[in-house]
Amino acid sequence: MTSQPLPEIPDHPSLSTLARTTVIALVVAGVILVMAVLPAEYGIDPVGTGRRLGLTDIATPPLDPVEMTRSTGAALKPTTNGPIGEYPGQFKFDVYEVVLQPYEYVEYKYQLEQGASMVYSWTATAAVLQDFHGERAGGADDGAPAEESFDKRDRNAADGSFSAPFAGIHGWYWENVGGEPVTVRLTTSGFYSAAVEIRSDRTRTARTLRTLDTLMPVSSGSGSAGRP
Amino acid sequence: MLKRLMLVTLAALTVGLAPALAHDDYRIIGTITRVTGTALDVKQTKDGKTIAMKTDSATLVTRDKKKVERAELKTGLHVVVDARGDSLEDLVVLEVRLVPPPARP
Repeated sequence: MTSQPLPEIPDHPSLSTLARTTVIALVVAGVILVMAVLPAEYGIDPVGTGRRLGLTDIATPPLDPVEMTRSTGAALKPTTNGPIGEYPGQFKFDVYEVVLQPYEYVEYKYQLEQGASMVYSWTATAAVLQDFHGERAGGADDGAPAEESFDKRDRNAADGSFSAPFAGIHGWYWENVGGEPVTVRLTTSGFYSAAVEIRSDRTRTARTLRTLDTLMPVSSGSGSAGRP
Repeated sequence: MLKRLMLVTLAALTVGLAPALAHDDYRIIGTITRVTGTALDVKQTKDGKTIAMKTDSATLVTRDKKKVERAELKTGLHVVVDARGDSLEDLVVLEVRLVPPPARP
């Protein structure tokens, strides 16, 4: 029976050695943090190494935006992307007001492509005979009538959204059936390309639509005025 | 040959009828200035212009949504006229509504 020598157990480092190595490790970690981690993770680059090594690009990768085809005058026909309808141009908005003398009527319509949408609100100072309807571009087609009514009821106000079931002009017929003047005020915004007013003597007047450039921003100081 | 002739005739008829079918509806509001068996002149309230229109056997005359005799049409009465045609100078009256004159402002 032979006895084997016990493995040599190294001496424990002294406290001063431990302190020195800890400090060195902390310094190295700090240098790595400042020179590499902060620039790469947060774009913080106090000594410029992140820029030189290209690490800041990791924190703020360049955007690669989807190319939107935008052209003035293009048909504002939507392309469906799930619940989103994308258009080749910006939406417009419009405010129209008309005073209908006794027994007068007026039609006010927007040019919309199939599937294009708009939102609207209108009020009248008294109930009017109204017909929200559309006229197909090109007239009757394959048995479909040239005109279709969407809502034909006496009203003095309406608020809603509309998605054009076919390309053409879509809008309202308002008739004052009483003996007093009635004022109708309509506000809309949507992906329409033109608007036309048709009076009871068949005069047609094209309206200038407002673009987003004409919208004035509300200053941040007054943005919450009147709200709790 | 006969088939071709029929096609040409049909095309000519279609072209000829298109303008006739493309009539617009007009509304004239004002006071009767002249009425005969086949004509009705109305002075418009909005601009004072007198519009001369034709009437025919199909022309309807109403008061309070009820049909009345054409003899009820008299000079000076206030009316709302729905007419059809190509322009204000070429209108055939569809319906004449006898209505109270508008209140003076």
